[in-house]
Amino acid sequence: MKLHAWAWLALSSLPLFPVAGATRPRYGGAVTVDLSFVSAGVVTPLVEETLVRLNEKGEIEPFLATAWQMDPDRKRWRFSLRPKVFFHDGEPLNASHAAAALLPELRKKYGDVNATAGGQTIVLQFDRPVPDLLTELANVRMAIFRTNEKGMPIGTGPFRVDTWEPGRRIALAAFEDYWGGRPFLDSAIVNLGASRSTGDIFDIPFSSARRVLPEHIRIWESPVHELIALVGDNVHPLAWQALALSIDRAPIINVLAQKRAEAAFGLLPEWLSGYEFLFTAAPDVARAKQLISQLRLTPMTLSYPANDGFMRSIAERIALNARDAGIALSPTPNPGGALRMVRWTIESTDAAAELNRMAALLGLPERALSATRPQELYEAERAMLDTQRIVPILFLPDVYGIAPRIHNWDAAQKGGGFSLHLENIWVDK
Amino acid sequence: MSFRAKIFLSITATVVVAVWIVAGVVSTLVSRSFERRDEQRTATLVAQFHAEFNRRSAEVARRLDAIASSDEIARMAVDLGSSQSDLGKYYDQAQNLAREQSLDFLELVGPDASIISSAEWPARFGYKESWLLGFGDSKGVFLKREELADGSALGLIAVRTNGQLSIVGGQKLDKQFLDTLPVAEGMRVELQTAIDPATQSREIRRVTPEATITSIPLFGRENQLLAVLQVENSRSELASLKRYIQGTALLVGSGAVLLGLLLSFWTASRVTRPLRELTLSVREVADGKWDTRAGVRSGDEVGQLARDFNRMTAQLVEQRDRMIQAERVAAWRELARRLAHELKNPLFPLQITIENLQRSRDTPQFEEVFRESTTTLLAELDNLKTIVGRFSDFSKMPAPELERTNLNQIVREVVKLFDAQIHGSGRPEVQVELTLDENLAAIQADPEQIRRALRNLILNALDAMPDGGVLTIRTQNLDGKVALEVSDSGAGLTSEECERLFTPYYTTKQHGTGLGLAIVQSVVSDHKGTITVHSQPGKGATFRIEFKA
Repeated sequence: MKLHAWAWLALSSLPLFPVAGATRPRYGGAVTVDLSFVSAGVVTPLVEETLVRLNEKGEIEPFLATAWQMDPDRKRWRFSLRPKVFFHDGEPLNASHAAAALLPELRKKYGDVNATAGGQTIVLQFDRPVPDLLTELANVRMAIFRTNEKGMPIGTGPFRVDTWEPGRRIALAAFEDYWGGRPFLDSAIVNLGASRSTGDIFDIPFSSARRVLPEHIRIWESPVHELIALVGDNVHPLAWQALALSIDRAPIINVLAQKRAEAAFGLLPEWLSGYEFLFTAAPDVARAKQLISQLRLTPMTLSYPANDGFMRSIAERIALNARDAGIALSPTPNPGGALRMVRWTIESTDAAAELNRMAALLGLPERALSATRPQELYEAERAMLDTQRIVPILFLPDVYGIAPRIHNWDAAQKGGGFSLHLENIWVDK
Repeated sequence: MSFRAKIFLSITATVVVAVWIVAGVVSTLVSRSFERRDEQRTATLVAQFHAEFNRRSAEVARRLDAIASSDEIARMAVDLGSSQSDLGKYYDQAQNLAREQSLDFLELVGPDASIISSAEWPARFGYKESWLLGFGDSKGVFLKREELADGSALGLIAVRTNGQLSIVGGQKLDKQFLDTLPVAEGMRVELQTAIDPATQSREIRRVTPEATITSIPLFGRENQLLAVLQVENSRSELASLKRYIQGTALLVGSGAVLLGLLLSFWTASRVTRPLRELTLSVREVADGKWDTRAGVRSGDEVGQLARDFNRMTAQLVEQRDRMIQAERVAAWRELARRLAHELKNPLFPLQITIENLQRSRDTPQFEEVFRESTTTLLAELDNLKTIVGRFSDFSKMPAPELERTNLNQIVREVVKLFDAQIHGSGRPEVQVELTLDENLAAIQADPEQIRRALRNLILNALDAMPDGGVLTIRTQNLDGKVALEVSDSGAGLTSEECERLFTPYYTTKQHGTGLGLAIVQSVVSDHKGTITVHSQPGKGATFRIEFKA
C-alpha cells in the first residue's frame, strides 16, 4: 500500500477531524474504463514500470531505480534498482531482468550497448556519450517486464493482467505485493474501442457534435500531447505565409475544441519544449491579403481524415479564414490534396525524439539533438517550421469523463505523463 | 426546250407548288397550335410554382415559429443575456434544430449579428450577418441567396427572434423543389442563379429551334434579382411533326414529279409524236425531198396540220416539176438565143464573103477576092469553133484532182500570162496590184481548174475596165480558210446584176457567153469553197473566193 494512502487512512480515522465518507480512502471495488479512441497505451504503466519517470514538472525522478551515477563523458551509467520489487508472478526484480528488458530497446536507439548486471546494480556501457539517457529511460518503451507463455506482460506495476482480449478488453487485478503499496481498487476493466461510454472513466473524443454529458460527470484533461497541424507540399512560399497568417486559432479553440485545446504555434507543446511561446503569432488577414496580392492562386484542396468530424470542422474553418484572405481552399475527405490536416500524437516526453519523429513524418532529415540543450531544440524546430511545410494549429489533450464514485482522481493523476493512474484512486461502495 | 419537257415541268411545278403551299399552311397552323399549347402549359406551370412557393413559405414560417418557441432556443436566449455565457457550446445547436425541423438553412445569430451557430455552414460561427442589423421584425418569408462553403444556394428564408437571439432559417429553392412540380412531358423547368442582375427585370419569352423558353425573374426581399425560373417547352414534338409534314410533302412532291413524268410521256405520245413526225417531214422537205408525206392520221388540229402539210408538199412537187420544165424550156430558149446570137455574128460575114465570092466569080479581081474571102472564111470558122469550144468546155467540167496547192504561185503565173494583154501597145492602161500574203496556207485544190477560174475572173475584170483602171488581186489567211479577191475599178454592178451574175449564159457584156463566171462558180463549188461578189455601180467590183485551208 502506498504510504500516503496509509496516511489518508490514518487521518480519516481521527475523530477530531470528521470528514465526509466520499473523501475517506477505501479499499476494494472495481472500475470500468471505456476507451473509444484513446489507445490501450494509457494503461500500460499500470502494469509495466520504468527505471525513472517524469514528474508533473517534467523532472526526472526515481522509479524502479533508486539512484544512478554516470561518468563525466556520459558513456557509462550505473543504476541501483529498488529493493523488494516483485514481478506479478512473484519473482523479485533484479539487474538481469532489467538488462534483458532494456538492452534490445537501447540498442535500437544507441547502437552498441553493453550491460553488466549484478544483484540490484546494472551498469550500462555505451560507445558514445548519451546525455539524454534518463529521459529515454522514462519512456514507456523502456519499461521492465517479462511475458508469460501466453504472451501476456508480467510487470512490476500496481496492477497485473488478469485476462487480455487483444483490441477488445483488458481485465486488471490489484497486485498485492506492489512495492508502492497495494492499490485501493481490487480490479479495473478496460474496454477498448468502446462504442458506449457507460464506464466510470471514459474518454471523450473531440467531435463536431457537442456531447451532452450528465451534470454529475466530471471532465478531466491530460496534458496536451496531440498536435493538429496543416501540412502542405509545393505551396508557393508567399501563399503559405498568407495562409498561416489568415488562420485565427482562438475561435477554433473556443468553439470547436470547447476551450479544451491550446493554440499551437510550435511543433512541441510548451510543457515539453519550454520555448513554444517564442513562436506565437497573431492572425493578420490584411497582411495575408497583401502577400498574395501579386500572386495568381488557383484553388487548392485541403484534405482531412475521413470520418473525423472534428478535423473536418477545423478544415472548414481554416478554409473560411483563408477565403477572407483571398485564398480558395476546398476541404475534402479525399487524400492527395496540396494541403492536408494531420493529427500527430506526442508519444514521449523526449523533445528531441519527438522533433526527429515529426521531421521524419515531414520527410525531413533527422538531426542529432539532445533534450538537454533547449537552444539546439529551438533552432531545429524553427528550421522545421521555416521549411514552410507545416503550420501548427492546436495541441489537444486526452479528455475523460469521470464518474462521481471515483475519488482522489486529480491527485492520482499527478504521477506524470499521459497515462491513466488508477493506483491511487478509490471508489464508493 | 422540247414540248415534252415543257409539259413535264408544267405538271410537276403545278403539283409541287400546290403540295408545298398545303404543307406550308398545315405547318403554320400546327406551329400556332403548339405555341398556344406551350403558352398554356407555361402559364399552368408558373401558377403551380407560385402555389408551391407559397405553400413552402408557409411551411418554413411554421417551422421557424416552432424553433423560436422551443425550449432550447428559450434557454439559449436566456444564456445569451448572461455575461458569463459560453456561446461556443452552441456550435452545433443550429445543425440539430435544422435536422429536427427538416430545414436546409438555420442560423442562430446574436444581438451583434454574429453567427453563434450555423447549420448550412458550421464553420461560419463568429462571422456577422450584417443584413440582419437593419432587418426589423418581419414575419414574412422571402427569397435570399445564402452563402455556403461550396458556393451559394437560393432559399426561402424567414427570420424570427427570441429575446436577443435571431433565428434565420429556411429551405432550399433548388432542383428538389422544382421536382415537386408536375412538369408535363416535353417540358423542363430549371432555376438559374448564375445571372447578371442587370440583365432581366421582366418575363422574357424566346424561341429557339429546340425549345420555347420562358424566363421569369425571381426577386429578393429588396427587389434584387436573385434567380430566373426558366420554363422550356421542347419543340421536338413540333419539329417532329413538321418533319413528318415536310416528309409527306416531299413524298407527294416526288410522286408529283413521277406523275408529271408519266403524264408528260403519255401526253407526248399523244401530242408530240405526230408533231415530231411532222417535224421530220418538214426537215426532209427542207433537205430537198419534196415528195415527203406526213404519216399523221389523227383527226385533231395536228392531223389537219399534217394533211395541209401533205397538200403543201404535193403542190410544191407539182410546182417544182412545172418550174423545172419551165426552166428547161427557158434554158433551151436561152441556149438557142445565145447560140443564135453567137452563131449569127460569124455567119453574117460568112454570108457576105460567100456572096462577094459569087459576085466576083467572073471578074479579074476574083483571085484577090477569093484569097481575101477564104482568109475571112477561115477566120470566121475559127471564131465559130471557138464559140462551139466554149460551150463544149462548159459542158465538160471534169472532177477536180486535188493536190497541195500554193495559191500565191497560181496568182503570179496567171497574171504573168496576161502581161502581154495588159501591157500591149494601144491598150488602155491597167495597173495590176498584187497583195499576197506570203504566209498563205496551202490548200487542197486542182491547180489547173483554179488557174482557169482565176483567168476568167481576170478576163472579166479587164473587160469591166475598157478605159483602164486598177486590177487588184489579194490573198490572205482567214480563220482556217484562205481568201482570194479579184477587184477591178470598173463601172461596177447593180444589186440585181450581182444576184444573177453566176447564172449560166447571163452576161452584162455585149459579146459575152455568160459562161465565164458560171465556170468560176462551178470550180469553186467543186472545191467546196464559196464565191461572193461585192459591188456598187461606179465603184468597181470585187470577187471573193474562200477555200478551206
